[in-house]
Amino acid sequence: MLTVLLQQGINGIVVGSLYVLVALGLTLIYGVLVQINFAHADIVTLGAFAAYFFTHAFGGSYLASIGIALVVGGALGWLINAAIFAPLRDRGSELLPLIATIGVSIMLQNAMLAWFGPIPYAFDTPYSEHVIRIGSTFFTVQSVLIIIVSTTTIGLLYAFMKFTFLGKALRAVSQDRETAGLMGINPNYLIMLTFVIASALAGMGGALLGPVLVMTPFAGTSVIVKAFAIVIIGGFGNVEGTIIAGLLVGLIESYTTQFLDPGLIDIVVFALLLLMLAVRPTGLIAEKREENV
Amino acid sequence: MSNPEIAEQPITSMANSILTSRRFWLILAAIVISLLPMIFTDSYWRTNLIVCAINVMLAIGLDFIIGYAGQLNLGQSAFYGIGAYVSTLLITKLGVPFWIAFGCGVLLSGIAGMLLSLFGVRLRGHYLAIASLGFAVITYQILLNWISLTQGPLGIYAIPPPPALRLAGLPIIEFSNLANLFYLTAGFALLIYVLLDQLVRSPIGETLTAIREDEVSAASLGINCQKWKVFAFAIGSSIAGAAGCFYASFVGTLVPDAFFITESFTILAMVIVGGMGTLIGPVFGAILLTVLPELLRGIGDLRLIVYGVAVTLVVLFMPGGMVQAARLTAARVRRVVRGAGTEATT
Amino acid sequence: MTADTLSTKNSPYPSTDAAVLFRAEGLHKSFGGVRAVRDISLAIPAGTVFAIIGPNGAGKSTLLNLMSGIYQPDAGSMVFDGIDLVGLPAHRRVRYGLARTFQKIRLFKQLSVIDNVVAGFHIHHDIPAWQYVLHGSAFRRDHARCRDEAEKLLAFIGLDKRAHLLAGSLSYGEQRMLEIARALATTPRLLLVDEPAAGLNAAEVETLLDRVGMLRVQGVTVVVVEHNMDLVMKVADRVLVMDYGQYLFEGSRAEVQAHPAVIAAYLGADFQ
Repeated sequence: MLTVLLQQGINGIVVGSLYVLVALGLTLIYGVLVQINFAHADIVTLGAFAAYFFTHAFGGSYLASIGIALVVGGALGWLINAAIFAPLRDRGSELLPLIATIGVSIMLQNAMLAWFGPIPYAFDTPYSEHVIRIGSTFFTVQSVLIIIVSTTTIGLLYAFMKFTFLGKALRAVSQDRETAGLMGINPNYLIMLTFVIASALAGMGGALLGPVLVMTPFAGTSVIVKAFAIVIIGGFGNVEGTIIAGLLVGLIESYTTQFLDPGLIDIVVFALLLLMLAVRPTGLIAEKREENV
Repeated sequence: MSNPEIAEQPITSMANSILTSRRFWLILAAIVISLLPMIFTDSYWRTNLIVCAINVMLAIGLDFIIGYAGQLNLGQSAFYGIGAYVSTLLITKLGVPFWIAFGCGVLLSGIAGMLLSLFGVRLRGHYLAIASLGFAVITYQILLNWISLTQGPLGIYAIPPPPALRLAGLPIIEFSNLANLFYLTAGFALLIYVLLDQLVRSPIGETLTAIREDEVSAASLGINCQKWKVFAFAIGSSIAGAAGCFYASFVGTLVPDAFFITESFTILAMVIVGGMGTLIGPVFGAILLTVLPELLRGIGDLRLIVYGVAVTLVVLFMPGGMVQAARLTAARVRRVVRGAGTEATT
Repeated sequence: MTADTLSTKNSPYPSTDAAVLFRAEGLHKSFGGVRAVRDISLAIPAGTVFAIIGPNGAGKSTLLNLMSGIYQPDAGSMVFDGIDLVGLPAHRRVRYGLARTFQKIRLFKQLSVIDNVVAGFHIHHDIPAWQYVLHGSAFRRDHARCRDEAEKLLAFIGLDKRAHLLAGSLSYGEQRMLEIARALATTPRLLLVDEPAAGLNAAEVETLLDRVGMLRVQGVTVVVVEHNMDLVMKVADRVLVMDYGQYLFEGSRAEVQAHPAVIAAYLGADFQ
């Protein structure tokens, strides 16, 4: 029993750390812009396909493909910001950018459908086969790789936000748009940077998720809804909360699969989301703000 | 209008007053609806006509929530599904007569909408969008996983069409006939449209718009925002429920995939492309986005991309959708006509 | 406060019945440790113009938000004409005759000027429920009445010529006046106006003063939160001075102008 708990715990943390990578991007963007990029998860899918074709069609190494996915994701993030969010910023609408990115998401999914077809791809990496055994728990080298890459990335991001000037400026913007202006930094540049970082994380998450995921053009939809659940549970714009909530959702997922039924995963996760919205809409780690009337 | 030009142009003014008369447009719509099945006689296009009518209902129902009350509801697919499944299960499992099952489907979708908005009463903007998306995901998963009730992904088959209208025991209008089924659904869509139109032209329209524009300000005028948001959700979701009932009895089979969350986005696209905050816009948005992919069948899988392209371009360049485009065109035409007129007189 | 402490000697208006319309005692409100309003008590006599003044951040707007129900107080009581207001949401207070305008203008910018006012009639519609869907004679009567009343209100504030423009297209001063008309559409007995003169030019301020005076004559009690001392001194019967969320002084205009603590805290700069 304990072995099962431990084994599923590890699986949960592996998947959860990938969800953190994806959800962090959403939360970073929300922190700076108070906007949601609905196409965020399709960057994940596109990252996965980029890595897949790099390794399977061009024979590139899997590790290099993670870098490729990162670049593809970052470029796409830059594009979405430049084409959608930047022009809509002056309109001051809360919902229009969200709706526009739903359009982008439909566009990307159907473009991928046309190119890649609806049949799931089998993304094999050289690391999926190697199994490490410690005691009576097993895990693949791929899982170890996922954990190493995602913790390193999250750690780097955290250090960037905490210790570099740009990172501090980013946090300043998310607290108050005007402060950043006072720091002498163009807020447009910071927003662009946030999109590139957030989307690069998503692209990389895709390369790592690819081997775990049912890789179809629509994979993004199931990822985005979980990422939403995570950012709400963790508190929108809250980095620490997102990390905790991401791991939590990963664990819930693997334990639900083990003890209940894999079909119930979404129901459990979203029941938790709705509960959270009912009880504490500001997330696990709450901050109280005065409304300006 | 105290414009002297109009007095000099009695024909134009008469044309104007006809064009602005709602009764004229209503009669025209009724005529068009009755002619359509005569023009499109093959079952392929008649099927598409019925899909159009169902999508029109879905779109104007959603527009009432999004365009008027300003609540971004991404859960319309769930209300659609609840209407379809509730009515179908009542008919197939309990043998309930169609119109009673229809009423129950509409009622339960409406109640689901009310519950969601009661739940989301404190939530605004993005949070409501995500909560409604979560609700749609949960509903879809329940339809998929409650196999003993819904048969899950296997689906429910052989759902009968609405019973024939009988007069003195004789079936007068059979709804197994696609043309008649179109008259039923389109007639219903038109009825819903007219009722909603009356509603938004009443003070309720101003009340909902006030909430959409500024809730704090609306409350300062005595508007109970929570109550009216629940009202908007109840109306919009029960219309989706009605569309679901018609959908089930028209297609004859039900699978959960028809009510996946992407269906919500499809309906949203119709509202946005048509022009949210107007009722006529989503009607044409629904028709365009139903017919266009059919015309584009030649280009294969890529055809559904039009939804995405249309939504994105409309939000960026024409936020009022087809209605705004039509208004701009009309204004331009008027300017050209007037320009030609003054040239002729000078 | 009783009638005899209420000085009407230097009031620009004839003396009025001084029954208290609104009374608050010991109001407190904090936001995350910042105490925006501390132990404020006030009594507003019916039919008067009551000004709340104080430097920026003195808690005037928070007090107004407590009175109108946007915030609920952490402690204290509020009674409006015998009705306990604490716990009552903003929209319910409107039905008892309490209306307000906003410091940061909050018009419905996508609605026309007249429709903004018509939206203010929300609590006064007299239409049977079924006629919202099937418009009948009662509906048409109500519609005509609302348009008519709205036009009168627009004429009152001088915007009758602009009735069919979008509210967002009005000038800043016109938008402020439109907010007052919209609030008046609810037929308030107590009207709370938050910095009505901010951004107005001299002529517009004159109109504003004149209209506030007319409202007072019509029996509407007006609470003005204001920065502009000249305006307060021209229009107010009584003045409450706040500083750092606290009560500093309350009295007639003359008393306020003479009070050393008030001059030190606030007026000094203006009256040099």
